[in-house]
Formats: sequence, C-alpha cells, structure tokens
Amino acid sequence: MKALTYISIVLFTTISSFSSAQVTFEAKVSKQKLGVNERLRVDFEMNKDGDNFNPPSFESFTVVGGPSQSISNSWINGVKSFSKTYSYFLAPKKRGNFTIGQATIEIDGETFKTLPVTVTVTAAVDKPKDPNDPDYIVNQNIHLVAEVSKTNPYLNEAITVVYKLFVSENTGVSNWRELDIPRYNDFWSQNIDIKGIKIQNGTYKGEDYRYVVLRKTVLYPQKSGLLEIEPLTLDITVDVPTNRRDIFGGRLMQSVHRTVAAGKRTINVKPLPEAGKPINFSGAVGDFDFNVTTSKTTLRATEALEAKVQVSGNGNLKLFKLPVLTLPSALEVYEPEHNEKISVSLRGMSGQSSDAYTIVPSYQGKYPIPSITFSYFSLKEKRYKTLSSGELVVDVTEGPVNNNSQAVSSTKQNILSTGSQFASFKTKTNFLNTKRTMFFNSLSFWMLLLVPFLAIPVAVILRRKQEMRRGDTVGNRIRTGNKLARKYLREAKKTLGSKESFYNALERALHNYLKSKLNIETSDFSKEKIQELLQTKSAKDAAISQFIELLTNCEMARYAPFSNVEMEQDYNKASNVISLIDRQIK
Amino acid sequence: MKQILVIVVLLFSVLINAQNKDAFLEANDFYNNGEYQEAIARYEAILNTQTHSPELYFNLANSYYKLNQIAASIYFYERALQLSPDDIDILNNYSFAQNMTIDAIEELPEIGFTRVLKTLVNTFTVDSWAKLSVCCVILFVILFLSYYFSFSTSKKRASFVLSFITLILAIVFLSFAFQKHAINKKNNPAIVFAQESDVKSDPNLKSETAFQLHEGTKVQVLETYNDSWTKIKIANGKNGWINSKDIRLLNDF
Repeated sequence: MKALTYISIVLFTTISSFSSAQVTFEAKVSKQKLGVNERLRVDFEMNKDGDNFNPPSFESFTVVGGPSQSISNSWINGVKSFSKTYSYFLAPKKRGNFTIGQATIEIDGETFKTLPVTVTVTAAVDKPKDPNDPDYIVNQNIHLVAEVSKTNPYLNEAITVVYKLFVSENTGVSNWRELDIPRYNDFWSQNIDIKGIKIQNGTYKGEDYRYVVLRKTVLYPQKSGLLEIEPLTLDITVDVPTNRRDIFGGRLMQSVHRTVAAGKRTINVKPLPEAGKPINFSGAVGDFDFNVTTSKTTLRATEALEAKVQVSGNGNLKLFKLPVLTLPSALEVYEPEHNEKISVSLRGMSGQSSDAYTIVPSYQGKYPIPSITFSYFSLKEKRYKTLSSGELVVDVTEGPVNNNSQAVSSTKQNILSTGSQFASFKTKTNFLNTKRTMFFNSLSFWMLLLVPFLAIPVAVILRRKQEMRRGDTVGNRIRTGNKLARKYLREAKKTLGSKESFYNALERALHNYLKSKLNIETSDFSKEKIQELLQTKSAKDAAISQFIELLTNCEMARYAPFSNVEMEQDYNKASNVISLIDRQIK
Repeated sequence: MKQILVIVVLLFSVLINAQNKDAFLEANDFYNNGEYQEAIARYEAILNTQTHSPELYFNLANSYYKLNQIAASIYFYERALQLSPDDIDILNNYSFAQNMTIDAIEELPEIGFTRVLKTLVNTFTVDSWAKLSVCCVILFVILFLSYYFSFSTSKKRASFVLSFITLILAIVFLSFAFQKHAINKKNNPAIVFAQESDVKSDPNLKSETAFQLHEGTKVQVLETYNDSWTKIKIANGKNGWINSKDIRLLNDF
C-alpha cells in the first residue's frame, strides 16, 4: 500500500512538473579529446534557476578557472527562455580516460543530476590550442585538399589534380585569392576552367563539410620517378565566430585573413616497359585509332592531292609526333599542315591530331604510298600496340612522262621523246642461253690478236731472200751453173777413182750439157763445131778452150794413164767450165 | 656414242626452246587478261630453264609493275636493259617504275676527262671492243705488208701512215676492252627488295644506322661479310652495310 502511494506521488509530481516547464540540466565539454597540455571547459547548463549547485569533484583535473556563472534571459514571441551556466576551466593532470562525475542542483525543490562525461586525455600536442584563436579555427575547420586521381601512373598517362576547399558548417569563407599558383615541373599540364562556384556537401575525414572545387588540372608526367606536385597556396578571408554577440544574441563574426596551403603530393611515375617497345614508338600513351587517307586516288598530273595522316582517340595527343609519310621521290610534296582537334577533360585529352600533306604529281604513273605504322602504349592492356595504315596507290592518269630515268650503265641518260604511255608487253622474243661465253680474254681472241703479227716477219724474210737472189746476178748464175754441173756430173762423181768409167761419164756429161744447151746432135760432135757454136753463143775464148781441153783429156784418158789427183782436177774443172759457159752464153 | 649424246642434247635444247616459246605466248595471254600473277609464274618458269631474253624480262617487269611490286619490277627492267640497253619501251616503262620508288639519290657527277673516257668506254661491250681490236690488228698487218711490198713512194707512204693509225687504234681498242672489262668486274649492282632497310656503319645490328633505303633503290655491291652483310654504295657516293637478305644481285643469273 505504501509503495503504491509513493509511485502515485512520483507520477503526479513529474507530470505536473512536465506540464509546467521541462527542466533540463546538462554537462557540456568543449572537447572530448585533448592533449595533456590543453585545457578543457566544462559547462553545466540549466534552463531554470535552481539552488545548491554542487559540482562534481574533478579528481584528475585541476580547476584553473571558475566556477563562473552566466545567466541569460530572452523573450522570443512572448515565450520566455532562460539559461544559467556554471563554467569550469580544467587542466588535466595526466593521460588517460577520465570521467567527469555528476553535478547536482535543486530546482523547485527537486534534485537534478547531469550525466557523467568521459574525456580522453592524450599525449601533449604541439601547441596548446586556444579554441578562440582564428588560426586554430582555420586549422580545424578549413581544409584545402589536392585530390590526385592516381599516384602511380605510367609515364604520359593522364592524371588529374582537383583542389577542394572544405569549410566546416560553423565557419564561413567570404573570399579567397590564389597566392601561389603551382607550377608543375616535369608535367604537361592543362587547367580545366570551372564555370561558377558550386557549393557542395561532402565529408572530410568522416565529418560533414561543405566544399568548393577551386581548380582542376590534367597532368601528363613527362619523367619517370618520384615527382612532386607543388602545393597550391590560398589567401582566404575567414569569418570566425567570436564570443561577442550582437543585441539579438547572434554571435558576432570576425573576418580574418589566413593563408592555407594544400600539402605537397608526391607521385611515383612508372616508366613504360622496355620489353616489346616498338622501334618507331614516339611516346604515344592511351587508346588510339590510326589511318592514312588520300582525298582522291586517280587524278591528272599537276592536280593537287591531299594525304592525311590521322591519329584519334584518348591519350597524350598533343605530346607526340605523328609518323611521317614516306612518299615516292617523283612526287612533289609540301610541308604537312598540322591540325589538332583536342578537348581536355578530367579523363585526359581526347580528339584527333592530323598532318595533311599536299602532293602534286608532275608525271603520270602509279605512285604507291607505302604503309606506315604508328605505335602506342595501351593503358588498358598494359602493352604496346602497333597500327598500320594500308598501302595506297595513287594513279596519275594523264600527264608527261618522267624522262630522267637512269639507264643501267652510267652512260648518257636517254631522253625519251616518244611513248607517253606505259608500253604494253612484247609479243616476240628470241631466247638466249643465260650462260654467256666471252670472246674477250678467250684463247681464240688472243690468237686472232697476235697471229697476224707473225705474218709480218715471215713475209719480210721471204721477201728478203727473194730480193737477194734477184739482185746478185753473178751468184745466181753460179748457182744455176753449179746446179747444172752437179746435175750432169752426178754420174761422173760416182765413178770418181776408176779411170775408164769416170772419163766416159765425164765425156757423156759434157756432151749432154752441150746437147741440152746448144741443141747439138750427137752426130756432128766435133771440136771445131763445138768451138764455133760456143763462139756464136758468145762464150769467151778461155772458157771454150778449157772445154775443148777437157774433151781432149777425155779422149786421151782412154790411152794414157791418169792419176786420181788428175781425175779430181778434171772433175773440178768440168764443173767450173760448165757453170762458166752457162753464165756466158746467151 | 658421243655423237648420239650430242644429238640428244641438241634435240632436247630445241625441244625446250619450243616449249619456252609456247610458255611465253601463254604467259602473254594471261598478261593481256590481267592475270598478272599467272603470267609471272610462267615467265619465271621460262627463266628457270636457263634461257632469257630482254623481252622476257620486260614482260615480267611489266607484270610486277601492274601488281605494284616496285622492287621486282625495277629488278627485271634492269635485267632487260642489261641485255638491250637502248630499247625505248624498256626505258619508258623503267621510268614509270622508278616513279614508284621512294629514295631520291642525287648522282655524284663525274667530271672532266674521266667522264669523257667512261662514256667512250661504255659505248660498246667488252666483246665488241675485243673484236674491233682484232679487226684493227688484221688491217694493220695487211696495210703494213702492202707498204712493204709496194714500189711507188706515194703508195708506200699512204699505206705506212694508215698502218700506223690502225696499229694505234688497235692498241686503244684493246685498252678500252680491258677498261670495260674492269668496269664490268667492278659493276655489281643490286636492287633493294626490303620495303625499308637500315644501312649500318658496321656489319652488325648494334652499330649506328647511317641511312635508310627503300624498296626499288639500285645500289652497288662492294664486298660481303659472313654472307649476311653486304657493303654497298649508293649513287651519291655514300656507303654502308646492309643485310644481304634485303637486296638481290643483278649479275646473278
């Protein structure tokens, strides 16, 4: 019964008190976590005046200030609000987790208690933070952050840096000015313009913030290794709340200029792999398409033609050279005109880059444009890719023929006056063996060259001999006479030694000689006749007498003895006489 | 036995010749119908029987030209010109083929006496010079003998002077034949067949690239190293080492 009455009383009083005014009594700490060298402020706040305020014992803290009382009364739309605060400033004695105990107060005869608050005291912080210091407020509430899309990109891979200014809910930034615009050494950079500033909501380290994007930059690292992005430094005007309040109770804000900087960022740029690097790789990284086109494929000489080498896609389009078109030397080619249609967004460069060559063929014919290749590093597949343009043929149908052709040998170049067309095939031919025999240096060549010279000495010698004989008449006569004598005396010579036969033969020889020379018949063979005949043939007397003497010797030999020596003498005499007479007679 | 063999060989060669004539006509038909690949196959078959002719090379080169194969086309035009250097059709089409080449090489001009001498030496082939010198020698001997055997002074004088001139001519022609022979020996041209080839300063892959040559360029072969590298010289006097696979010799029948 007694319990029931207590409960009913308690219920009644609480309901009545709620209906009249809700009493709140709370403990608030300026921070939950603080360094051992920092100070903590604890407020005990109530909305109805009470008595017998009993603070907790701050065992682990020393009370450096307070308790201080503040009371505020306000009437808004006829509603009265009241608050009374007891404030203590505490300094922690040591590190650890501490609980600030309950405070009690009596309001309208009732006792109210606060909830215990736990505070963490950490190691000493560098600088005791004064919560009212604008620097401290800026540090705590305003953050300039550089967000880098990728910290280990490949060489020439696009990365973006976005600078965001985070501002917490309880401060405001009224203005900013860039003090130091970062220079991106070793990067190719392009800013992306931001149109208007949009305030967006986001979180920074888990807390709610408002932020604005100040600057977006696309960067292409141009060097491998560790590269630094210089910080962006801003001068900002911050509205810092003060403790003073205006007559309406709103806090007065103080404008403070402060410098904030985004931290340095380091980027580790990976070099492109060496393995499989094509020879003609010119540094293109991304995802590309490559083609070579000509404005026309058939044309007349002296008409112009445009050949276009084009690379399109995403990647560092501005940062590499396009492959050069190699063209037949007979074509007149002008310096290519470079064209770029590239837009830069947060994803990097995209668009197309092209070289337009103006070509004017001067002669008719076919001109092949050889296939050229373009290599790039594909970021998607992490390997090199090579694209090749197909071979194109430009056909020049009308026009003069190129006539400065070089003939096989270095002989005079033949100027072609006829035939302005490509000649057709030949219908007739005579086949030759591919193995040729050389006349030069062959045996027959040297024979033919040298043998004729032999004809000269041979002819000369023959001629000499002939002339000698013809010129020397005496010798000739002697030679012929001797020859005759030898002819007739051959038999006599054989029988030299035997007297009878020798002289017979000698006589016969003499007679025969006379017969052949003087046409004497054997019948009238008398010495007188012979003498007469020889004289008429103008033989000299001495020779005639010798001849006659020989004849008489022959006759005498039949009867008289003759020695061998005499026979020899007679033989010689005979041959002499014959040749002598032969020379004399005409 | 020997005679039979000779007869068989002779008959065989006659037969081959007749076959080649037929193949040539057939290839020409293919050419005319625009089936150049077929035509090439037949022309090449004729070449494989160790026979050739300027017309054959010309038609073959034309076929390659029609198929846009620059190097092969130039190669066979050069061959055709080796056999018949003054054929207008060949020279004409050769200039068409040369339009397709990429390299423009300025020819090193030869100056003064050497140029005159060279053009003179190049007017005839070695064999023609050799034959001319033989004719001159024979003429000289005849004239000299007629000088020697003639009696009248005027005849003697004339034949002596003439014989002297012919002797000098014979010597000159002979030296020309030797000169031309030397030129021919040194002249070992080749055509670049690779679409693009690096000419190195030393015969290895590591060495520096001196210059680049493209398909269809004519080069002079100077020497070879290990069979895989060939030292070449181009018309402007530059030289270097090229991969032997990238070129094809013109004198290699």
